[in-house]
Amino acid sequence: MTKTLIALLIGALLVPAAHAGEAAAMPKDLPAYAADKPLPVPAISKQTLDNGLTVWVVPRNGMPRIDFVLAFQGAGLAADDPAMPGFASTLAGLLSEGSDQRDSKAIAEAAQGQGGSIGAFASNDGLTVAADALASNAEPMLALLAEVARTPSFPENEVALAKANALQGLKAAEAQPGFRAERAILKAVYGEHPYARTQNTEAGINAITREHLVAAHRQRLRPDRALLVITGRVDPERAFTLAKGAFGDWKAEGKAAAAIAASATTATPRFVHLERSGSVQSALRVGRPSVPATDADHIPLRVASTILGGGFSSRLMQNLREDKGYTYGAYLGHRSLAAGGALIAGADVRNEVTGAALGEVLAEYTRLGAEAVSARELDMNKRYIAGGYLISNQMQAAVAMTLANNWLSGLPPEFLGEFVPKVRAVDAAQVQAIGKKYFAPAQQSIVVVGDAAVVAQLKDYGKFETSK
Amino acid sequence: MSAMRSPKLLPFLIGLTLSASSLASDVDRFDLPIAVKTLDNGLTVVVSEDRSAPVVGVSVVYKVGMRSEPKNRTGFAHLFEHLMFEGTPNAPEGTFDKVISGGGGRNNGSTRPDFTNYIEIAPVSALEPILWLEADRMKTLDFSEKTLKNQQDVVKEEIRVNVKNQPYGGFMWIDISQQAFSKWENNHDGYGSFVDLESAKLDDVRAFHRDYYGPNNAVLSLAGDVSPEEGFALAEKYFGKIDQRPTPKPADFSEPLNTQEKRITQSDPLAQVPAVAVGYKIADRGSPDQAPIAVLAEVLAGGDASRMYQGLVKGKEMALNIDSLFGLTGPFEYDGPTLLTVFALYKPTVQADQLLAEMDAQIAAIVKDGVSDAELARVKTAMLADWNNSLESFLSRADTLAKFQALWGDAKVANRVPAWIQAVTSDDLKRVAAKYLTVANRTVIDRKPAAMLATDAEKK
Repeated sequence: MTKTLIALLIGALLVPAAHAGEAAAMPKDLPAYAADKPLPVPAISKQTLDNGLTVWVVPRNGMPRIDFVLAFQGAGLAADDPAMPGFASTLAGLLSEGSDQRDSKAIAEAAQGQGGSIGAFASNDGLTVAADALASNAEPMLALLAEVARTPSFPENEVALAKANALQGLKAAEAQPGFRAERAILKAVYGEHPYARTQNTEAGINAITREHLVAAHRQRLRPDRALLVITGRVDPERAFTLAKGAFGDWKAEGKAAAAIAASATTATPRFVHLERSGSVQSALRVGRPSVPATDADHIPLRVASTILGGGFSSRLMQNLREDKGYTYGAYLGHRSLAAGGALIAGADVRNEVTGAALGEVLAEYTRLGAEAVSARELDMNKRYIAGGYLISNQMQAAVAMTLANNWLSGLPPEFLGEFVPKVRAVDAAQVQAIGKKYFAPAQQSIVVVGDAAVVAQLKDYGKFETSK
Repeated sequence: MSAMRSPKLLPFLIGLTLSASSLASDVDRFDLPIAVKTLDNGLTVVVSEDRSAPVVGVSVVYKVGMRSEPKNRTGFAHLFEHLMFEGTPNAPEGTFDKVISGGGGRNNGSTRPDFTNYIEIAPVSALEPILWLEADRMKTLDFSEKTLKNQQDVVKEEIRVNVKNQPYGGFMWIDISQQAFSKWENNHDGYGSFVDLESAKLDDVRAFHRDYYGPNNAVLSLAGDVSPEEGFALAEKYFGKIDQRPTPKPADFSEPLNTQEKRITQSDPLAQVPAVAVGYKIADRGSPDQAPIAVLAEVLAGGDASRMYQGLVKGKEMALNIDSLFGLTGPFEYDGPTLLTVFALYKPTVQADQLLAEMDAQIAAIVKDGVSDAELARVKTAMLADWNNSLESFLSRADTLAKFQALWGDAKVANRVPAWIQAVTSDDLKRVAAKYLTVANRTVIDRKPAAMLATDAEKK
């Protein structure tokens, strides 16, 4: 019998009954929600400098703080040489470890003295430098941001230290079950696509040289592929003037890298057991590729994945935690990127219930396509997502970061304000169709990090290969 | 206040608030509007209005935590916190989360040595249902065997995922407290033993709720799109009819600074890189030393510009990181014996003794020379900004004010913290470094990968 058939049969057997709580009436004297207030949509002033740098300003009148987010498209982990996975993280980390004007210590002290911070990180689709400071220090902090982004010096001693610490950091991370599980599920979901290679390796770290960093900086951090978002107590005209002063004379050199090829939207499921001797829990991950952020399915996928695995009221949490007591937490996320996406669920469960927990996850997957979600549950989840937008929007830096992340994944600035109305428009038939299209158990890869003894519980879910 | 043990020290700190901030421009000041009212049943209500977003943060802080749990029930305060989400006679299991999620909100709870907090953030349209739910579970719970068993299982999974299945297993807060303190209230494992957790009975749950979860032992705090008048009226409407309940007097869990160093080496079966935690007992809440200790921690271990980061991660290149923590809370959010702990992963080529010697040299330099005006100004500016940032989210704003009301007896203390920090001098830092960051007052755990420890043993 094929793996696919086995998975289908199990899914069919384990469709759980609807939760009793769902049908139960609400307490009779519980007050109703008040009417929703109008959705606040940030006003974004936009300008593009002559060198191609896009600048967006979102004035806010809250905290006495200014936030800058400078994002570079195509400069992230997906652009890394397969022989040096995770390179973009090292590149990002070293930007603030020395510039043509200051050494690492002086940069840290400058940020501290402005009541702020500066730091960079790499994601799949980009490299982002973020800085903030007390409102009165907007100008010097923007100058520091420009210095770090434009003229990092990559001192040899800092490069050597970063590599040495990355090697130790990698050793420490390998001891965590979640780190190994993430690597394996990404490999299963993305195969040979660069999105599978976001963690560094010992060989890759050892291969990094100062020359690699200098060359990658020149090619990847360039104004014609950059967005600067400024939020805080500043008016747009002054913000544009500041941005021109800090970045106006910056010229791109050479050719930018080609865009990342699209990743496949389907994958042959893989079943991986990573042995972790003496582990008292199994780290379970269930995943498959999905679609890019710009795909029409993105919004209904967000709704469907929230119903299944977003927050305490989600089906996975209610089933695996609140009903069965298998886990501290079960979750599912739709990771939508510029060139692809993934649906990845996870839970860490005690050894004895490894197989049973996996069965429940897959049963919930099946149920999403098998029956229409009730109006009440759908409404709860749509309001939960809308609430998340409002809560995030209250935070100044979160607005800047969301705008930058949307831009990195190919979405226009208007997406921020359109997101909630689009979520509200999703109906039960769409959710069920998404369930059928993306959540059939036969399409899912499974990774289990745990003791060798748990493998016996996995035989009904696929032909697992064990590796150390 | 059930646990204010040093009220005599309060005037010292209050006196400090008069010195105005000169470290940064006035535009950088972030004073919160804070209104406080106590209902007839003893529930204290705090409201901080901010109309910048149609969102509200809610925090209910109960003045009970790990220190006050029954002696044969380690982990009970935390298990009880979980049960607060598991239903009441009016709102069966599942209702709580559904109502808050359906209102667009997020909720959580956490247990600390001196308090337990229950927090929500949501669009303001969900405020009344949230207050109804909080009041409902303050009255009573449904005390069900089924949910008790379920949450015993969930808590054990929480301990597995955070402690037993993780390298380092939280030793920088669990084990270090067990080693550093002498009284049971301060040195038992607040996550709990599995035996004690499994022994918990419904009668324990009933008694704990009755004794510690009355309105007179709680603070309700709201921050965001709500005025004090609205907030007080809603508090009266939903909580006003809940009866007071007598709260047991806390044991005397005070203890002096340690007079002899404790050194422990632990074997970690999962870790691949060695780590060290160095815990120092610090001043009581309200002591004039409290703010100087907060600044000292920042000078030594607060971020990339700090002395230990520059000296040990950079400089000598011995450590991978330097982190500092005040138990499980912050420098102003405790009300009993607490540790300032420095935690670092270090390179296998280095011995813990070398790391400690380097830390001691950094401390000795402050005891001898203090810190320069420029460094002190920089650190204070960073702390002011961090303080502002920590209050940006309406959730953390409501929660911080609730904790200050519960621990200090006055939420308005939160607006004084920036001035306390500003008033700290180099001489203060010399004094508190010499008094608290001593070898005699410290507890050290050297946590080594099991394989490395076995190799060490062979060499000997």
